[in-house]
Amino acid sequence: MIENADQAPEPESMPERRIGVYVCHCGGNISDYVDVSRVIDGIRDEPGVVVARRAMFTCSDATQQEIERDIRDQHLDGLVVASCSPKLHTATFREVARRAGLNPYQYTQVNIREQCSWAHTDDHEGATDKAIRLVRAGIGRTSRTEPLEPLVVQTTPKVLIVGGGITGLRAALGLARIGLAVFLVERQTRLGGWVAGFGAMYPEQDRGRDLIDRLVVQIGEHDNITVFTGAELVEKTGSFGNYRATVRIGGRTGETIQLDVGSIIVATGFDSYQPARGEYGFGLPGVLTLPDFTELVDGATGPLTYQGRPVRAIAYIYCVGSRQPADVPGGNEYCSRFCCTAAVHTSLKTRGLGGKIHQYHLYRDMRTYGKNELLYSQSRAAGDHYLRFTQDTPPTVDYDAATERLRVTVRDQLAGPAEIELPVDLVVLVTGMVPRANEDLVKALKLPVGRDGFLNEIHPKLRPVETVVDGVLIAGACQGPKTAVESVASGLAAVTQAAAVLKRGDTALDPLVATVDTDICRWCGACQDTCPYGAISQITRDGREVAAIDEASCKGCGGCVPLCPDQAIDLRGYSNAQVTSMIDGLLEAMA
Amino acid sequence: MNYDALVIGSGIGGMESALKLGDMGYRVLVVEKEASVGGKMILLSKVFPTLDCASCISTPKMAATIHHPNVTVLTYAGVDRIRRDADGRFHVTVRRKPRFVDEAACTGCQQCELACTVAVPDQFNADLVGRRAAYIPFPQAVPKKAVIERAGTSPCTYTCPAGIKAHGYVSLVRGGQYEKAFQLILEATPLVGSLGRACYAPCESECTRGGLEGPVPIRRIKRFVADTHYAGGVDGTQRPATNGIRVAVVGSGPAGLTAAWQLARRGYQVTVFEAAPRPGGMLRLGIPAYRLPNEVVDADIANLTALGVRIEAGKRVDDLEALRDQGFAAILLATGTHAAIRLRVPGEDLPGVHSALNFLRAVKLGEPTEVRGRSVIVVGGGNVAIDTARSALRLGAADVHLVSLESRARMPAYSWEVDEALAEGVVPHDSWGVRAIDGGQSGVEGVTLRRCTSVVDADGRFSPQYDESIVDNLACDTVIVAAGMAADTAAFADLVPVNRNRTIQADPGTLQTAVPHIFAAGDTVTGPSMITTAVGQGRRAAFMMDRFLRGEPLDVAEFEARLPEVDKASVLARQRGYDTRQPIAVPIPDRAASAGFAELEPPMTEEQARYSAARCLDCGVCAECHECVNTCPADAINLDMREQTIETEVGAVVVATGFTLFPADLKPQYGYGRYPNVITGMQMDRLLAPTRPYHTVLRPGDGKVPERIGYIMCTGSRDKTVGNPLCSKVCCMYSIKQNQLIMGALPLADVTVHYIDIRAVGKGYDEFYEQARAMGANYIKGRVARIDEKDNGDLIVYYEDVESGRLASAEYDLVVLAVGIQPNREAAGLFDAGELALDDYFYVAETSAALNPAATNIPGVFVAGAASGPKDIPESILHAGAAVAQVAAHLEGTAVPV
Repeated sequence: MIENADQAPEPESMPERRIGVYVCHCGGNISDYVDVSRVIDGIRDEPGVVVARRAMFTCSDATQQEIERDIRDQHLDGLVVASCSPKLHTATFREVARRAGLNPYQYTQVNIREQCSWAHTDDHEGATDKAIRLVRAGIGRTSRTEPLEPLVVQTTPKVLIVGGGITGLRAALGLARIGLAVFLVERQTRLGGWVAGFGAMYPEQDRGRDLIDRLVVQIGEHDNITVFTGAELVEKTGSFGNYRATVRIGGRTGETIQLDVGSIIVATGFDSYQPARGEYGFGLPGVLTLPDFTELVDGATGPLTYQGRPVRAIAYIYCVGSRQPADVPGGNEYCSRFCCTAAVHTSLKTRGLGGKIHQYHLYRDMRTYGKNELLYSQSRAAGDHYLRFTQDTPPTVDYDAATERLRVTVRDQLAGPAEIELPVDLVVLVTGMVPRANEDLVKALKLPVGRDGFLNEIHPKLRPVETVVDGVLIAGACQGPKTAVESVASGLAAVTQAAAVLKRGDTALDPLVATVDTDICRWCGACQDTCPYGAISQITRDGREVAAIDEASCKGCGGCVPLCPDQAIDLRGYSNAQVTSMIDGLLEAMA
Repeated sequence: MNYDALVIGSGIGGMESALKLGDMGYRVLVVEKEASVGGKMILLSKVFPTLDCASCISTPKMAATIHHPNVTVLTYAGVDRIRRDADGRFHVTVRRKPRFVDEAACTGCQQCELACTVAVPDQFNADLVGRRAAYIPFPQAVPKKAVIERAGTSPCTYTCPAGIKAHGYVSLVRGGQYEKAFQLILEATPLVGSLGRACYAPCESECTRGGLEGPVPIRRIKRFVADTHYAGGVDGTQRPATNGIRVAVVGSGPAGLTAAWQLARRGYQVTVFEAAPRPGGMLRLGIPAYRLPNEVVDADIANLTALGVRIEAGKRVDDLEALRDQGFAAILLATGTHAAIRLRVPGEDLPGVHSALNFLRAVKLGEPTEVRGRSVIVVGGGNVAIDTARSALRLGAADVHLVSLESRARMPAYSWEVDEALAEGVVPHDSWGVRAIDGGQSGVEGVTLRRCTSVVDADGRFSPQYDESIVDNLACDTVIVAAGMAADTAAFADLVPVNRNRTIQADPGTLQTAVPHIFAAGDTVTGPSMITTAVGQGRRAAFMMDRFLRGEPLDVAEFEARLPEVDKASVLARQRGYDTRQPIAVPIPDRAASAGFAELEPPMTEEQARYSAARCLDCGVCAECHECVNTCPADAINLDMREQTIETEVGAVVVATGFTLFPADLKPQYGYGRYPNVITGMQMDRLLAPTRPYHTVLRPGDGKVPERIGYIMCTGSRDKTVGNPLCSKVCCMYSIKQNQLIMGALPLADVTVHYIDIRAVGKGYDEFYEQARAMGANYIKGRVARIDEKDNGDLIVYYEDVESGRLASAEYDLVVLAVGIQPNREAAGLFDAGELALDDYFYVAETSAALNPAATNIPGVFVAGAASGPKDIPESILHAGAAVAQVAAHLEGTAVPV
């Protein structure tokens, strides 16, 4: 954009722009509440607008091609799409612009779905007015865009994996096999995580220990996998494609090393829910958690015994530490997914040990999903009893001193209203997964944590292994409860995601970053103090101390811009002039 | 061109695989069987548990897939076979189904869809509504290009010897487009009115509806079309630019006129020579006016003259060389069979003995005949004999007798014509042969008959046998012989070779004679046949003469390359839901009409014509009405496209063929398919989607907005009675999602779910379930025994309520069956039988899932998404990611089994 210095810098003096505006119905998601025709009418005569159209689905390929045609035929130099969240489609329409020869950064997405139609379902008129204003603001921004080029950074073809459980191990092999170097950091002194302690696992009855051994042998044969055990990631600097990770080996007092990597995969797994004392009799002799019980079973070679006594009856109580109401203090609302199948599988293994045994499963909903249903069928066919309780009437567990056995009392919905007492030798609390206590790592990597305490992906469908921190990926049960097979799949998906970027050797970053006018800057440090990404440093230039911004690290959050007392910082793509123009658009009177 | 990887299927698993492989720099070929990428996800409303709009998530992936520089997508295509060679490379055969639309030219404007006259159930709307045979799958389709769905050639069209698009004009009449129907028939022949009356309609014999309540009256619909056109006096004839080449057609019967028409439309200057005083051949001279009035023949011939065809009647051509000398570059002989075959019995030359051809010709030309008050015997059992007998009655014969060699049942004449003749008073004498015609110089006095014991020999040749011991005498004063017809080609025989039966020798494919510029067509080549056959011969001759005159080879295959005839059983299976539609009553001839030559058959009313046309089952799907061809602004439609086979070689394969939905009618106790207000989960998703068919949630039976909605979970899942003991995993969650959306769309509706276990397993899923409960959805544990339908369409659901331990029933306005998913069995057919391992339930087996999820038993072949077992969308995406990591490892050549 070239300003004519002779004229006062009023909005009317802007050079003639040729902007195309597209307003989306989103099927009915928008048009059920926002009068799209009125939006078009409301912005058609805005300065610079030469095309104003609506579309059923702007993101559909047909409309994308229509926009491309318009850009070429009408020689557009700016593009505005009013549709959904920029999170969803900014990349889509930048790509449309690029294909048609328009600079992608001369595109503005206006969100009239989340911000208008969905937010104001009770006020069609108001939602429409708001949409008009938002689109005007978008046009205002676009009218002051300039062509920008993405920042291309060379990437380091190495990946750091945090966590040496089955997910991390398999991911390490996956990366190495497609030619990427791997550093694997495990906090424990030995590899393998939970699975290393498991016996036969479903669905294929492989022993966990064997699986880990196979992986470790393979990893040992790879020159480009370096394993650090007893090690922790303590710091990460740099930016996507070129991170520098600081790893401490050997505990708090150990040495630290620095590793340059392009991407980081977090595969730190889960902790098992630890019941409170007294929770379903926890603390009584013979009341075990599922992992402890599984260990007992995996270690047995004949009919199951516990502390020297034969086990003739077992009660499994499901959903311990899972699916708790929101009002239980510290309770977990989520379902832990794996535990129904794991418990059923373990009970089948128990039966397989031989001996006459009664097994009672006290469940809420039996969630042996998919093919796991076969285990459930097998268990019932083998003679296990299934009793259903509701959250309102949970079973109770006490110790019957007379019989020296445990007594489980439950109201079984399937059998009728009467309470049933079950004399058993063992009570297995089918405990779920809880997020690992990993505050230091979460802090070091700035990992997003969800309401359930597990790490959060950007979008479960669009970007399931990516986090909001570019190049920092999550895999396995640290993202949410998963079985081993599912964890491995997500680990390999993270491999794919990392490789899709790192195999190319470079990556393009948005150039929407802050810039410093070093003629104006008098270095006060306010910007450096506020920058959450450590992108701002103090440098000496022509004998003066000024701020410098590392473009690769800057996320374009704009936090520094208003803090600068001399207004020496501007944000590309959201310049002061653009934001002013947007505000004007928002405030402009409705026709 | 070869690729690094082949991805089969472009649902979410396939797209994710292709995009990620493409991002890594591998060249990917995606093969998708539908006309758009996107799979099932794009058809959903919103997706759990985030309630994202499914379109909004799918469309960018769809666009990205097809625009990715490393990804090539073949839609509307199938992988026929994959063969793995000794080096571990895969040789792939892909069949591209014809779209009948040039993808490069099509702009997706949907004009063809609007013009298309055929509606079929819309599979992309779970059959809730219809779509056209010309269609773009759905609004967000990628690529947004039209497809013409063609299952084959409809039997009526396929069987028509004239090559008339019978299904096409029926379909146009169904939509009230009579003039367009007329124009479609004109593409074959100008004789629309004549065929609408005198054609014996082999199309109707082939009509699939004929196996149900009775065929569509296709011929009478054509007559309606012709009558409507001629009554309207529209003359839309546009004379094509002439090419200056003169062509002569000798004979103006159906073959000659059709050939002249076709040639004139191609720009030739055509002159038709006719020996008789008026043109039309047998239409004019042989078929009585009560069946085919002269004015109709005149109107049909006017179509030709309007195009500039010259007709010179009363001009017999004897000298073909002379025609050549007059400047005719090519000549068509279409002189028909106008020579009568004699009986060869004593007395045949007596006064009062006539040939049927001469008799009918005289009647038609208004010349005097001598039958009034006479006692007439007609000899013959064919249609000409019947025409003769009935004409004689109309001319006032005292009595008319029909003597035929054949028994009543075997008479060559159409049985309904025989019936009509007898009803009019003709006296039959069947299984009799004429031994002699009795009489003297004063005239005929009678005939001597002998019993005919058989008409044809073991080989079907005409060879009548008589029992001479059984004779009869029949008195009469006139005998009209209808013993057959033969070609009269003596005049041409010195130039053009003729056969023993005097027909002209012409190549049956090209209709060219031994003299290159002379062609022959119609009965003069084939011997006596049907009008439609002659019309077809005329078309063929014109096509070949045109090629001859343009110096092109006479390629027989190019003429009328049709798709194979569609299989009727498949039509009936496809049209499971066809209505019973009785044919309109066959009109009873007016008895009084036998007194004169007024047309016997009453015309159809417009209402009858449209009702009858609407009985069409659209066997071939596309009717070939050519509306799309005529409408397409880009000229993109090409009905001559054919399947293409593409061979390619790839280094790895991703099987992402997804799943199919459980066919809910396999649980008959739920009444799906019988009770209109019992729908499937997919149908409910369509009702809730932004591109929803009714723009609101209503029940299909009567359009009522439902207030009580019941869900039946595990329909077709966890159910050994239907052979599927597996849990389908997604049904609980999609139902809970729908519960929430319904409560949003219909705030007053009550939603009740009958379930076994609610399986809300996944991040945020159980919370999503609790949210639905908090919103007011009611979840009842216990199975449903059966559903009954009330007269008003409401449904009574009989169920057990486990919590209260009782059996109960509830009434709902709408019941949704949460149908489960099944393996897509197509995956097994990609490789040789047994090569790709499947699990016990026919999903693609992951043979080392613990460490290598997505790997199959074949090195280099991976499975992504629900092809390997029930998976929801996030799992399918992760699974695809897992497959891609291993595909890449395989391609890098470093893959070692873990």
